Amino acid sequence: MKSLLDLWRHRALIGVLTARELKARYRGSVLGYLWSLLNPLLMLAVYSLVFQVVLPSRAPSTSPYALFLFCGLLPWNWLSSGLTDAASSLVTHGALLKKILFPAEVLPAVAVLAQGAHFLLAMPVLLGGLLLGQAGLFGARPALGWALVQVPFLLLLQGLLVFGLGLLLAGLTVHFRDLRDLLATLLTLWFFATPILYDLADVRSERAVRLLSLNPAAPLFEAWRDALFFDRWVPARTWGLIALFAFVAWAAGQALFDRLRDTYAEAV
Amino acid sequence: MSRVAVSARGLTKGYRRVGRTAAFGTLKSALLGRGLVDLLNPKDVVPALTDVSFDVRQGETFGVVGPNGCGKSTLLKLVAGILKPTAGSVTVEGRVSALIELGAGFHPEISGRENVVINGVMLGMTRREIERKLASIVAFSGLSEFIDQPVKTYSSGMYVRLGFAVAIHADPDVLVVDEVLAVGDEAFAHRCLDTIREMSARGKTIFFVTHSLSLVEELCDRVLYLEKGRTKRVGEPREILASYRLDVSAGEGERLAAEHAVTQDELRAEPATGATGATSATGMAAAPAVDPPPGPVPDDDGTAADPAPPGADASPAPAPAPEPERLRRWGDRSAVVTACRLLDGEGKERYAFASGERVTVEIEAEPSRSLSDFVFGIGLFTTEDVCVHGTNTEVDGLVPARFDAPATARVTIPSLDLASGTYLLDVAVHSRRGTPYDYWRGACRFRVDSPRAEAGLWRPAREWGFAGGVAWKAE
Repeated sequence: MKSLLDLWRHRALIGVLTARELKARYRGSVLGYLWSLLNPLLMLAVYSLVFQVVLPSRAPSTSPYALFLFCGLLPWNWLSSGLTDAASSLVTHGALLKKILFPAEVLPAVAVLAQGAHFLLAMPVLLGGLLLGQAGLFGARPALGWALVQVPFLLLLQGLLVFGLGLLLAGLTVHFRDLRDLLATLLTLWFFATPILYDLADVRSERAVRLLSLNPAAPLFEAWRDALFFDRWVPARTWGLIALFAFVAWAAGQALFDRLRDTYAEAV
Repeated sequence: MSRVAVSARGLTKGYRRVGRTAAFGTLKSALLGRGLVDLLNPKDVVPALTDVSFDVRQGETFGVVGPNGCGKSTLLKLVAGILKPTAGSVTVEGRVSALIELGAGFHPEISGRENVVINGVMLGMTRREIERKLASIVAFSGLSEFIDQPVKTYSSGMYVRLGFAVAIHADPDVLVVDEVLAVGDEAFAHRCLDTIREMSARGKTIFFVTHSLSLVEELCDRVLYLEKGRTKRVGEPREILASYRLDVSAGEGERLAAEHAVTQDELRAEPATGATGATSATGMAAAPAVDPPPGPVPDDDGTAADPAPPGADASPAPAPAPEPERLRRWGDRSAVVTACRLLDGEGKERYAFASGERVTVEIEAEPSRSLSDFVFGIGLFTTEDVCVHGTNTEVDGLVPARFDAPATARVTIPSLDLASGTYLLDVAVHSRRGTPYDYWRGACRFRVDSPRAEAGLWRPAREWGFAGGVAWKAE
């Protein structure tokens, strides 16, 4: 808990660095921040085309499929790119650790927050899509309602989860550069193990369901869809699991990160 | 005033051996071996700093000197808190600002102004503080025209200027300065130094590392001399620097001796060729000290009708040009120098001397036939090819009789009154008219060190005397 307070103490630094990350990303492009909106918009357009026209959806529960997919895909993108950036954050910004007195955990935090900001910027597209869906544009109508108030809590918990795992990866990547390569593959595997392309309720095999529910990200993504797509209240048990996994990930990440802290300035 | 600002106690820092880290640099090997365990409990470490203790009082300017790899930078980073000591402790009172790498963390894509804000926050300023100081920072850096350009368009000098400007405005209690003043142009370096002096005058503590000993002498109140990670001496700058300079010259002497051995071997393997005799005229011009002026000097060993004052001929040497190897030695090989070395007062071979020491030049030479016309000469040059001194047996009034077997010539200089620097020695055997038998440029290279930093080449013994309204503090 003290570590989180420390992080709060560095909020000014995290703030300016996150802003810098966002600014630098679109510096030199004509449309700038609009890309954070345009990218998901184009993605939504492509998915809609594919799943409305080319491959019409089969399961009625996941219809309209493009929106269903989008509700899981956007948070997943945050998780996956947040982890990727966090993992290499210490190595990329090695000069800072080596040359000035710099709180190392700020770097993974910035990586996670910057990607979180992209996610938030994409949210209006998702909501716009959902509204259009309600208007019947995609055939079946997604349910949209009060369940949306759960979104901020999901944001917080996913933020903590990604930050925790990010700390873990960042600390290890300093010493084992292979992790960066390995991570891409692991993330792909994790992507398919997480109910994003499918609804866990539609999985037939009993064993597969049991296996898939071991995935710590599963409750989180189920919850995202409950809130965004199905207009359902996330069951208390699911909330408990999400929170548990997030805190465990953070505690483990923080512990390892602190254990290795003194080695960063030398090893990066 | 006498509060302690930086206090180090038994400060020790070891680095994990790099080869070992590399060996465990992959996850696979870590999982297979005990890499992860070793990582957490490093045992195989290279000591960078061992048991260093000192106190720096508030307002003091504290310098650290020592050869490369002695642990200066490690010490600096420990003081700045970037590295953690393996053992011992270092405590610092107040905010530290480290000028270890200026502009570390500048992001190339965003503007100078935004980088100033970010850098300032990194150095511990609040945003409000930075906004207040922004104008002053920009003015100090002299980059007002470019401040809204992305930093990637800056030259390296501009980069450093901006970095320095921010670091100075962080208003640290302890300023840690590494070799950063070497970057940037003269004018900026002066401004940096002025700023550092001003901070010192305002009672800030300054922890200072540089290779510029004159800066240390000028700025520091006390100096720590590190050698191989250990404290060699701590104390008053003049005293410490004198001992450091002597050590450096001794080390350099060893290096020069090793180099000397190599050149001697090389040249022995490939001695002078007669073919290069054609260049002897140039060679003679380039080495006026050794060769008597061509003039009405009898060809044979007849009495020198006109021993013109050859010393007067020690005219300024021609412009130095990097010489091809073949121009380093020439002559018709009527006699060959087989070895040349420098000996100290005890007859030990050495290539580093303290100013004022007794030095003997020893030349071994071998004639190819019996010679009756021969002169041994030496010439001392700076590395810029300025002739410091040149003499030969002819100049010194020795009249040759016979040279028909290997021989050794020694010339002793009882007091080598040269200022600090590296010098080259030419040796030659030639005829009395100046035809070179074997002329060897830069046969020896040696170093002279003076405890004081005088200007010029000559370091005479001297005494000051005073009368009237002037007084000096007793030491």
